[in-house]
Amino acid sequence: MAALRSSSSSSTARILASARPAFRLSAAAPVRGFAQLADGAQQSQTATDKPAKMKTFQIYRWNPDTPTEKPRMQSYTIDLNKTGPMVLDALVRIKNEIDPTLTFRRSCREGICGSCAMNINGTNTLACLCRIPAEDQAETKIYPLPHTYVVKDLVPDLTLFYKQYKSIKPYLQRDTPSPDGKEYRQSKAERKKLDGLYECILCACCSTSCPSYWWNSEEYLGPAILLQSYRWLADSRDERKAERHDALNNSMSLYRCHTILNCTRTCPKGLNPGLAIANIKKELAF
Amino acid sequence: MASIARSALLKQAASASVRPAFHSSLRTAAFHTTARRALLPPPPQIIEGSVNDAAPVPPPSPSHGSYHWTFDRLVAGALIPMTVVPFAAGSLNPTLDAILCATLLIHSHTGFKAIIVDYIPQKRMPKIRMGFNWLTNLATAVVGLALYEFETSDVGLVEAIKRVWAA
Repeated sequence: MAALRSSSSSSTARILASARPAFRLSAAAPVRGFAQLADGAQQSQTATDKPAKMKTFQIYRWNPDTPTEKPRMQSYTIDLNKTGPMVLDALVRIKNEIDPTLTFRRSCREGICGSCAMNINGTNTLACLCRIPAEDQAETKIYPLPHTYVVKDLVPDLTLFYKQYKSIKPYLQRDTPSPDGKEYRQSKAERKKLDGLYECILCACCSTSCPSYWWNSEEYLGPAILLQSYRWLADSRDERKAERHDALNNSMSLYRCHTILNCTRTCPKGLNPGLAIANIKKELAF
Repeated sequence: MASIARSALLKQAASASVRPAFHSSLRTAAFHTTARRALLPPPPQIIEGSVNDAAPVPPPSPSHGSYHWTFDRLVAGALIPMTVVPFAAGSLNPTLDAILCATLLIHSHTGFKAIIVDYIPQKRMPKIRMGFNWLTNLATAVVGLALYEFETSDVGLVEAIKRVWAA
């Protein structure tokens, strides 16, 4: 960076030429360090100190290329000392080292993207936020999200889920311009109403844990979409509250919620879709 | 108690004579339950419109939505004092008894209708749905008539429960 700033008076070509070696120098060191960690040599060294901690994962397998074959559970045993703490680490390790045909979605590995939602030991969570139960000797069972059409292995088809999300118009709808022509301002209290709503990452853990959504997913919107719906109903800047209410005011879209609260219990982000749905019902009540 | 008790007794007697056959059929059914019977197997996945279209939004109908929900809560809430008061106060007001019966009837009717909406999808089985809806209507009408009979020509609901409780 110092080289860049000092050569600012010269031509752009010279800037690039002088900047490039400096950039490479600064970038190379951490990358090499990371590669060292990942290549496994260091890990196997530490593993020899401790006794191997073997853990078996039973994973749901189904291949669309052989559609007549029934889905089956396949067991993989790995050493937890060589693996990261989360279930997603184990899955990545199994895919890398044991079975490259194992299929699952993952992206951010830190609970922001919502890709790795799956059913782990009977609970819908994000694999990246779920610790491997290490002290427990029992096998960990991993299934795709329940009551979804499976694309392959742990990958569910969320087409309907996204279509339903689109149907609630999840964007700011407003006609009046802001008074100063700049931005739509909110008071602190108004902004606070969106806390616990805007954090939803649409991982579909809650919707696929809801029995009502299992039976009526074609018409009932499900907790995730209703939480998002309330996020726009609660927004002080949105001006289509009546239309949004009308879209929910029928027997199926909203009122198939029977306050089972599986959604709140399972949410890997700790949000409360059940409360959001209750608030929508209260808004609509009179 | 006259008419209703008699019919119930008759029914009991009739069921007692039928029972052995019914029992054996139940046992064979239990023996065969290892073969799983899927009542509603999942249909093939059908996506309406293209993948990028929004899911269809149903037309607003508050009578099945918000009004229905509010009405349900009001009825359920009203039932709490109405079931407690007659037993606590010990008063035998026939009007109050009649209102309690009517509210109970409405409450159970909407409850059964909710079960039908939940478990019998309109799109997949419209005829069965309609059949069950009419069955519920019929049952409600019969129970309503029976309650009316019981209230007008007999002791009434609260007094009957009191007597059964004391018996």
